[in-house]
Amino acid sequence: MISDRLKQIILRQLKLDDFPITAETTAPQVPGWDSLSHVGILAAIEKEYGIRFRTLEVIKFKNVGDLQAAIDKKTPK
Amino acid sequence: MIHLDTNTLLWDRWLTHAGQTPASTAIIHYVAGEEPFVWTWSNLIGRASRYAAILKNAGVRHGQVCGLIIRHHREFYPIYMAVESLGALPAVLAYPNPRLHPDKFRQGLEGMSHRSGLDFILTEQDLEPMVRPLINNPVSTIKSLLFPLDWQTDPIMTSTSAPTTPHPALSPDSPALLQHSSGTTGLQKPVILSHRAILEHVHHYGRAIALTPTDKVCSWLPLYHDMGLIAAFHMPLAAGIPTIQIDPFEWVIAPVLLFDAISSEKATLSWLPNFAYNHMAERIHDDDLADIRLDSIRVLINCSEPVRAASHNRFAERFAALGLNRSALSASYAMAETTFAVTQTLPGREAPWIDADRQSLGEGNFVLVRPNQPSRRCVSSGLPIDGCDVRIVDDRRADLPDGRVGEIAVRSVSMFDGYRNNAEQTAKVLENGWYYTGDYGFRLGREHYIIGRKKDIIIVAGKNLYPEDIEDAVNSAPGIHPGRVIAFGAEDEAAGTEQICIIAETDAATDADRKQVRRGIIEAGMRVDVTIARTYLVPPRWLIKSSAGKPSRSANRDRALSELTPVE
Repeated sequence: MISDRLKQIILRQLKLDDFPITAETTAPQVPGWDSLSHVGILAAIEKEYGIRFRTLEVIKFKNVGDLQAAIDKKTPK
Repeated sequence: MIHLDTNTLLWDRWLTHAGQTPASTAIIHYVAGEEPFVWTWSNLIGRASRYAAILKNAGVRHGQVCGLIIRHHREFYPIYMAVESLGALPAVLAYPNPRLHPDKFRQGLEGMSHRSGLDFILTEQDLEPMVRPLINNPVSTIKSLLFPLDWQTDPIMTSTSAPTTPHPALSPDSPALLQHSSGTTGLQKPVILSHRAILEHVHHYGRAIALTPTDKVCSWLPLYHDMGLIAAFHMPLAAGIPTIQIDPFEWVIAPVLLFDAISSEKATLSWLPNFAYNHMAERIHDDDLADIRLDSIRVLINCSEPVRAASHNRFAERFAALGLNRSALSASYAMAETTFAVTQTLPGREAPWIDADRQSLGEGNFVLVRPNQPSRRCVSSGLPIDGCDVRIVDDRRADLPDGRVGEIAVRSVSMFDGYRNNAEQTAKVLENGWYYTGDYGFRLGREHYIIGRKKDIIIVAGKNLYPEDIEDAVNSAPGIHPGRVIAFGAEDEAAGTEQICIIAETDAATDADRKQVRRGIIEAGMRVDVTIARTYLVPPRWLIKSSAGKPSRSANRDRALSELTPVE
């Protein structure tokens, strides 16, 4: 389940009004999400949640679900 | 200094290293989170010889072109070298990004096959469904698809075979490899380089950067790009110094990987396109730098897109505390047509820069900036390397004096012979041994400053893109008038590169409709693997036509940048 907060960060970074984003969504499916904007999205997530992703974590994200799971692990319930 | 025999074959050169220093490191294959894999010269040549035996059985012969479409993999290097050992021509092609539509990928490959005359495709099983239809096409030049990563259980791979003996018909002037002069799929121009051209280039360029046997190259650059293939792969292999190869996809997402590898391997040389300086300065976290030292870097070469002084500054300031020496920040001007480098700044000295009066520069003259006038800081790309001559010429190809802006023409001992199967394009750019680059610049004393392009090519993150390719793709987007689209590049100062902009004529009038059209344009760009950063939507008949009746890129670009706000 993707939180609205994460979805809004992604949409804001990509300057999109709306786009269906689910746990299975991968970057190439979303307009404007390429490897360079990916790094910007990760930085925005880190800032918004006050967390830090490790290098290896970042490389292994395969879809938005992986991203959400990593955020959930690092943020207090 | 390293002295090379240039009157030989690449494979023979590699065999010499394997014979003289079998246990020394040839290539370090770097993967994030894994122990680096080290190819010694002996292992590498042994492995390549086994692949060569299988390739020969599969029908690969000297003079044939083998397209390699393989992701960052430690077996890539011996496979590439095996093709070379048979006298066949390796051509490294980009592995398709998942964003690229399969039809577009196939179309690009088909065009490339038509122009480059591809005989074999060496790739991974994953791509078979995409590539197989091409082989089945009766007019295709491609004879067969091969999957060398699946040959690990072949008895030949575990045998002890003698190193391959090159075909007796091969000479130093035989073609050694095929590389493409641009990154887009539709209009790639194949360049054939001989063994001699490559070795001469390594010899002369090696002198220009004072290459020594203790140097070590570190690179994340893709090998389908001339900078990755020649500077960071062929040069160290020919010179017999180690090269560390990092996955480009991993580096973009985690740029600290380059520093990790430089620091742990004490690398001395690296080539980077300008955007990489911004990317690393901006995106690497301080806490990832705890154990990193950059003292070992002797020369860091900014090349493949215009060098920006602000990018050097930002990078130098950010990483000075890690031991990065500012004098390592150098620059080069290079192109596939001359094998690679044409000019290079002096090693051990920061690339010099000069502040030009912006208006005079626009009028074709370099004038030092006057106080309180708009200026442009121009960074030198250095002086011609030995074996290369450079002229600055006017529209009639007559020489211009120092300080006058003109087209850059190059003559080199490592020059290509022309674009393969494209006499028309070759005739446009090659005349009496001079290659007319289409780039603009000026010379001051010995220093050469590259400031722009005659051609409309857009350079994004070191990758050359043709606007025609992008316009073709965007023409299919819903809501726009087909044929009434312009693609151009605009400076993105923060990223240190260009970004792709589109102007499209549309009837869409409401905010919601215009956003919908913008999204369609971005998605159309994605299908050809380009990211469109800015979209300007205009009413019908807005675009200015050239005298030939086609929309003019430069006039419309200037008009859009001064009059319009992009759709968001």
